[in-house]
Amino acid sequence: MPSWSESAASKIVTASAKERIYISVAAFVASVLVGSVLVYLSGLVVDCAGGRFLGSCYNPFLVYYYLFVDPFVGGFNVALVMKETVLLIFTGLSVAVAFRAGLFNIGSQGQLVLGGLASALAVIFAAPFAPTGPVGTLVLVPLALVVGAVFGGLYAAIPGALKAYAEANEVITTIMLNFVATNLAFFLISTYYQDPESGSVQTVAIPEAARLTPVLPFFEGAQFSVVALVLGLALVGGTYYVLANTAFGYDLRTSGVQATAADYAGVDAKRLVVSSMTLSGALAGLGGAVYVLMVMSRYRTGIPALGFDGITVSILAGNNPLGVLPAALLFGVMKAGSLSIDFSLGVPKQLVGVLRGLVILFVAMPEFFRMLARYTSFGPDADRPVATDGGEDDA
Amino acid sequence: MRNRTAYVAGGAIGALVVLAGLVFTFLVPVPWVVALAAQFDTSLFSAALRLSVPIAFAALGGIFAEKSGVINIGLEGLLIASAFTSIAVAWGLAGSVGPTTAAWAGFIAAILASTLLAGLFAVVTIRYEADQIIAGLAVWLVALGLAPFASQIVWNSVNSPAVPTLNNWVVPGLVEVPVLGPAVFDSNPTVYLMLLAVPASWFVLNRTAFGRWVRASGENPKALDTAGVNVSRIRYASVLLSGVFSGVGGAGLALGQVGQFIGSGQTMVSGRGWIGITAYLMGNYNPIGAFLSSFLFAGLNALQFRVQQISELNISPSLVQMVPFVAVIVVLALVGKTRLPDAAGDHYESGDD
Repeated sequence: MPSWSESAASKIVTASAKERIYISVAAFVASVLVGSVLVYLSGLVVDCAGGRFLGSCYNPFLVYYYLFVDPFVGGFNVALVMKETVLLIFTGLSVAVAFRAGLFNIGSQGQLVLGGLASALAVIFAAPFAPTGPVGTLVLVPLALVVGAVFGGLYAAIPGALKAYAEANEVITTIMLNFVATNLAFFLISTYYQDPESGSVQTVAIPEAARLTPVLPFFEGAQFSVVALVLGLALVGGTYYVLANTAFGYDLRTSGVQATAADYAGVDAKRLVVSSMTLSGALAGLGGAVYVLMVMSRYRTGIPALGFDGITVSILAGNNPLGVLPAALLFGVMKAGSLSIDFSLGVPKQLVGVLRGLVILFVAMPEFFRMLARYTSFGPDADRPVATDGGEDDA
Repeated sequence: MRNRTAYVAGGAIGALVVLAGLVFTFLVPVPWVVALAAQFDTSLFSAALRLSVPIAFAALGGIFAEKSGVINIGLEGLLIASAFTSIAVAWGLAGSVGPTTAAWAGFIAAILASTLLAGLFAVVTIRYEADQIIAGLAVWLVALGLAPFASQIVWNSVNSPAVPTLNNWVVPGLVEVPVLGPAVFDSNPTVYLMLLAVPASWFVLNRTAFGRWVRASGENPKALDTAGVNVSRIRYASVLLSGVFSGVGGAGLALGQVGQFIGSGQTMVSGRGWIGITAYLMGNYNPIGAFLSSFLFAGLNALQFRVQQISELNISPSLVQMVPFVAVIVVLALVGKTRLPDAAGDHYESGDD
């Protein structure tokens, strides 16, 4: 089994990896630049009492200080960053795995929602039979994770099967299934599992033993668990290993690059589509389970758009599992920072949503940066654009 | 091939209706069926027409773009951008000009905003050869981030206050026609626009030189180039047209139906652009088929609003709201792969560029 480093094409792969990193960084910088113009212009519109920066209420430099530096000041802020990062690792990996197989899973959000709901319910039902204390934790947490992965995986298998056997475009079906998942979760909770003590649509709390808590005193007070981080890191490594060193991973990547070639090589394309989507959904479902165990301690409707952020993370990472880590960290910082720009400067935290879109827009147009590079005679040489072909068209 | 797909689509709709019929016959008690049947009246028809507006316009726009070879999955984003702009402008002008003028100014501004965003998408995909799916996704995500951000700036909340809306136009005389009259001829201006735009789009695509160029640009750009027509220019025009149509759709939703901007969650557009894509796939790129599919989804949606109000039917609203989305999936699964224009998704570089 050829591994990435040993393959004959390794030089090309490394060269293109370098260019991918270059394009991701350039895209990110471009987004930040456009974002600052936007922030500056917004500041001209709003009313403010305090000091102005060139006539604007918002100083872009200050905004980026709070967005990128402030999150690292103090243990609580760092924990906030880590919390967001961990959550983004799961959906980022989820999107990346599908992408590598040439599939566009925009349904990570829905898979995360149903995975999270299933794992919350599993823990709530199992709790009376489980022991309390650390032993209970050892039973309940793995149970929650497995159930989350299974339900996320099953939910992703639906668009996978529809793609494989009915040729239904997975971009559209996964988006539709997001809407279905949100409504289904709302229906199930409000009809069957509603916490009678609460006005909002949510389940009862999961038992103490099943919660993922900070562990290290440094992170006290934040909804961040070192255990979840370790799990996320293990999954990054595991996913990388599976893609790079197993027969399944090889088939998956080959299908993503050249479906017909994979077919000739004897890969059962239909089964592979279903299994890649299932794996992708399982990762998103795990994210849902971690969200429930670490952040909410129950399932409540109105889950943040972690699935959509996962798309950005994966695209920024060049759909490489190892790249997911820095990309998730970057967005984790920005998510934490979005709270502090809102709190400290009054700049709407939705700014990060804008940057998310801009990043994807810029990553989509490597040709733009190549022209820029040619024009300024700076940066490495060209290859083809990032595409929906598994992101490995040059391997 | 084309006919086959049309039959499959027709069969899919038929199967869906039969399926719904079976569910209602076997699972639903008789009083429910009676209550449900009572819902099919002129005002349901008129509501379905109104709810079709954003879906059908997005679908028409999508057809032009994709026929020319550019898959525009950013329609949802275009709807969001125009819905927000229409409300912001109508709100901003409401104090200084009359409410009707303010609403129409919002309408025009919405079309400009959506066309501008579509223009950006066109430059990114045609000039800078971006992957169309990823760039389309970016258009959606940019709008999904930008509209609530701008709402916060303008109104200090992701939702806007109520603004003046586009009032219904009553066509004197025709409104007296039994059944059809009150359903069609007492409608929002955007509904009339839709009823004009659908046949007009069909005519332009199938009976004019421009329509021929658009189709050639998506099927065989090389041939079109050889014939001396600039492929890029046709594609730019088509993508811009998808922006114009989506602008009307988004403004129709915001100013013709809701009267405010709602920016929470997936915004007030809430998947209508995506349903528009399914509508034209189901209608096999035919504007009339796309409109009928849009009308079907809008009808389901109108029905679910009413079903929630029938006391005999104790169904959770969220369950009923799922129906249009499930229907889309079922239809997509039954229709299967519609035949894309040959060159859709591909870049085209003319030799003398």
